[in-house]
Amino acid sequence: MYIPTIGLEVHCELKTNTKNFSSAANAYSEIPNRNIATVDLGLPGILPVINENGVKQSLKMAFAMHCEIPEFMTFERKNYFYPDLPKGYQITQFDQPVGVNGYLMINVNGEDKKVLIHDTHLEEDTASLDHYGNYSLIDYNRAGVPLLETVTEPCMHSVEEAIAFLESLRSVFLYCGASEARTDRGQMRCDVNVSLSDSENILGTKVEIKNVNSFNNVKDAIITEIKRQTEILEAGGSIAQETRRYDENNMCTYSMRSKEDAIDYKYFKEPNIPPIKIEREWLEEIKKEIPALQYERITTYMEEYGLSRYDATILVKEKEMAEYFEETLKEGADPKSACNWITSVILGHMNKYEIPITKLFLTPKMLVELMELVSSGKISSKQAKEVLLKSLEEEKSPATLVEELGIEQIGTDDEILVIVKEVFGEHPEVKEQYKSGRTNIVDFLVGQVMKKTRGQANPATTRKLVQEEIVKGE
Amino acid sequence: MRYMDKSIDEIRKALDAQTVTSDTLFQESVSLAKQYQPASNAFVTILEEKKEQNTSTILSGIPYALKDNISTKGILTTSSSNILKNYVPVYNATVYEKLERAGAVLMGKTVLDELAMGGTGTTGHTGIVKNPWDDTRQIGGSSAGSAAAVALGIVPFAIGSDTGDSIRKPAAFGGIVGFKPTYGRVSRYGLFAFASSLDHVGCFARNVKDIAYVTDIIKGKDPHDMTSLPDDNKKYTDTLDHDIKGRKLFYIKEAFENYENSDNLEYKETISKFLETVEKVRELGFVVEEVSFPKELLNAVYPTYMAISCAEATSNNANLTGIPFGVRGEGNSINEIMMDARTKGFSELIKRRFVLGSYILQKENQEKLFKNAQRVRRMIVDKMNALFKKYDGLLMPASGGIAPHFGEKDDQLSDRYLILENHLVIANFGGFPSITLPSGFVNEMPIAINLTGRQFEDDVVLNMAYKIETITGCKNQIAKGGK
Amino acid sequence: MITKEKLKDYAGKLMFDMKEEEYDTLVKEFDVILKQMDFIGKIEGIEQVEPMTFPYEIGHAHFRKDEVKDILETVDAVKNASDVENNQVRVPKVVD
Repeated sequence: MYIPTIGLEVHCELKTNTKNFSSAANAYSEIPNRNIATVDLGLPGILPVINENGVKQSLKMAFAMHCEIPEFMTFERKNYFYPDLPKGYQITQFDQPVGVNGYLMINVNGEDKKVLIHDTHLEEDTASLDHYGNYSLIDYNRAGVPLLETVTEPCMHSVEEAIAFLESLRSVFLYCGASEARTDRGQMRCDVNVSLSDSENILGTKVEIKNVNSFNNVKDAIITEIKRQTEILEAGGSIAQETRRYDENNMCTYSMRSKEDAIDYKYFKEPNIPPIKIEREWLEEIKKEIPALQYERITTYMEEYGLSRYDATILVKEKEMAEYFEETLKEGADPKSACNWITSVILGHMNKYEIPITKLFLTPKMLVELMELVSSGKISSKQAKEVLLKSLEEEKSPATLVEELGIEQIGTDDEILVIVKEVFGEHPEVKEQYKSGRTNIVDFLVGQVMKKTRGQANPATTRKLVQEEIVKGE
Repeated sequence: MRYMDKSIDEIRKALDAQTVTSDTLFQESVSLAKQYQPASNAFVTILEEKKEQNTSTILSGIPYALKDNISTKGILTTSSSNILKNYVPVYNATVYEKLERAGAVLMGKTVLDELAMGGTGTTGHTGIVKNPWDDTRQIGGSSAGSAAAVALGIVPFAIGSDTGDSIRKPAAFGGIVGFKPTYGRVSRYGLFAFASSLDHVGCFARNVKDIAYVTDIIKGKDPHDMTSLPDDNKKYTDTLDHDIKGRKLFYIKEAFENYENSDNLEYKETISKFLETVEKVRELGFVVEEVSFPKELLNAVYPTYMAISCAEATSNNANLTGIPFGVRGEGNSINEIMMDARTKGFSELIKRRFVLGSYILQKENQEKLFKNAQRVRRMIVDKMNALFKKYDGLLMPASGGIAPHFGEKDDQLSDRYLILENHLVIANFGGFPSITLPSGFVNEMPIAINLTGRQFEDDVVLNMAYKIETITGCKNQIAKGGK
Repeated sequence: MITKEKLKDYAGKLMFDMKEEEYDTLVKEFDVILKQMDFIGKIEGIEQVEPMTFPYEIGHAHFRKDEVKDILETVDAVKNASDVENNQVRVPKVVD
């Protein structure tokens, strides 16, 4: 058995109105070459002007990933020829990126682990190429879209850890509102480094798999690559340091270029972007915009609210759901019971109709009100479930529904007592029968009360009152 | 009556008095351009139609020319390179936009050394530009056509760009004034980049006041250029006449040590005339002192410039692939069409400089070549800034001689002479404002002085130049070929 | 050691080729410039100097507000491309 070591380089498109270095829209468009400014085409004479919001979002991310943030940020050019790179170079960060030496926490099989982040840097996306028979078409819409590339240390040792990291990173983007991080639109893409070694402390030869575009593919690519390398090593061979590509159709990786053919990108400082001073006051403001993240919330939910990791994990999957949950707590809900309602009925409804929690008719406040009806014994939990489903589907508040359906339990003792007395009046013989040992006559009496109230009387209260009444008068 | 050989003040007066219309001026300028084109070859494009203007500034209605590496929407802009010979920009450079808004009238686009990478005016794709004082000689480059157009009296002013000396050298050889303001004073947006950290936009005219008029219009902060300077809220024309008594200038001793013993007569005469000018400058009230500058730094100026400029240029011009714009290459694969476009599209000199530049940037060479060049750049700029603590400006001969003949080889020149040929680039290293003024003649060819001042003090440099201009006897001169 | 073969390789990576005699000239030029650069490397104290990218410290760099503007019309975007299909720039098939 060999120990695999995995490192990830994750590119994620940032959510901004405009591109990183031009004022063209950063928007997904089916219509080609529509969101373009001069800069994005690399026309002669263009100059990059950096988007404040791109810097802000990347700083937010750097913070959320516990990175050190430099006093000055600089940009570099990465030079290479490719038809999707109209300037002939990509503007990226090399010397002083937005963040270095950070980490993200992951949890695999109940165990916490720190994934070390080498750096995270702000750069720009390339144009996209559409391939046809014997030609390709270039669409520059994507050229210049801000990308944040996060590079981990080679510190993960299983495919589960790698995927947990990707999920954790994705959640940070979503929680910070820094990206939509949609893999189906190629907004999040990975380069994966895999090496095998027979000792924990020695790294094997690194193979890089370029441009893997979904978490499933990352998983398959890692598994495939570990298998390929294992086979080579077991047959006494050695691994070549190279760059490979993952072919999802054939579930295999194939060689792109060897170490010898590695491109010299001739990085040098971008002379059109002066070093940018990161003002500390601005940083403090940005810091305040970072919400509590998944990992922190899971810890709180477990430690303070006594939820299971399983439930906590479901609740924090999306920030909006976590916020919904926390809102119910603010309204005074019991955490465990709120969690139950959300993860069962509400989540079921959301999944069934594919609606996000933010679009639900039922507000956290309404949910809490419904929960209170149950706890005060006004309605049964079975009834509450019906009301909740109806509320979600018919978009009516639970209170309205309870009234409309007439299912509110006859709650007060006095109300029920009136009916109990009525029943005793109709059946004068029961006290005698009870005395002579027919104690099950109580069930009959409770049944009569329920019948009269069409089930709206609280059964427990009714039973208690019947018990009291039947022994009276002696 | 001819107007294009007059100063901006004179033309303005005639326009305001309605003795001439801007239509007539445009026609005059265009027909002069056409008339001189066979002899001088200053233009890539001479416009046929004039855009209507309706603003009123000092420049409104006055024709001018733009170097053909400045982006003009709807007007061919070639950078004098075959790879861009069909390129019609879809946006305007800021400098053009500002001149348009001021009502100045573009009449043509001028020839440059291909991609502005050259100093001879001989490498443009439409042929060599000749010196209007002597057509067997170079005008110098790279802003060759702009210099020639102003020297010939086709336009009262023209726009150029300056990365090493590309405005100030051809101005010297053409007997006119050329000014490169502080780095960032004029936006570079729309200037086809050669070496971004050294590139400047500037202008040519036949007197200092006209230079100030034009600079006042074209300067200013530009949201499209992160390196553009904040507005200095100054009007340079207002301070031209300020008193200069006590202003201190220096010249570099090592640049022409023992010049008396040289057997190059033109060089000798150029230097002795420069020293005569220095005397007259002192009479104006300036203090001028001889200062020693480390020889090793002076010798390093040229290689440092080559290393930095070629490195940046190879990256800046990587956009020229013939794919989204420019002349498309032939071939069956993407690499073949790029190779073909670039192989055919660039001349030999350009390719040699690109290979050199990319070598300098290679990972294993960067430290020794690129970074060392950048280190020397700082050493030179630091030295200049230290001198500028004491002095208001550096006064030097713009060149060690007169415009060379076509085919004259530079490498035959002596070491001393080389310093004089290359010192102008110091102003690009530090972004210092720097102006070249015609100062006399040697062998019936113009010679010039150069004045370089402190960063951001464009107003002081123009003020000092305006005063010095009064003693040169070369104000408003028109080249022989333009008379 | 600079050889013609190396220079050909460098030129190829820059996506152009040159004539044989042009490479000869270039070999000589490299000889000159590299000697000069050697000389530069020996300047006293150079190793302590911070490389300079900008002519002076630019403290005034501004950010751009995140507002959409200055968009090119699609027709302008592809206007200078010699081969266009469906408003996209057409090139021989790109394979990697």
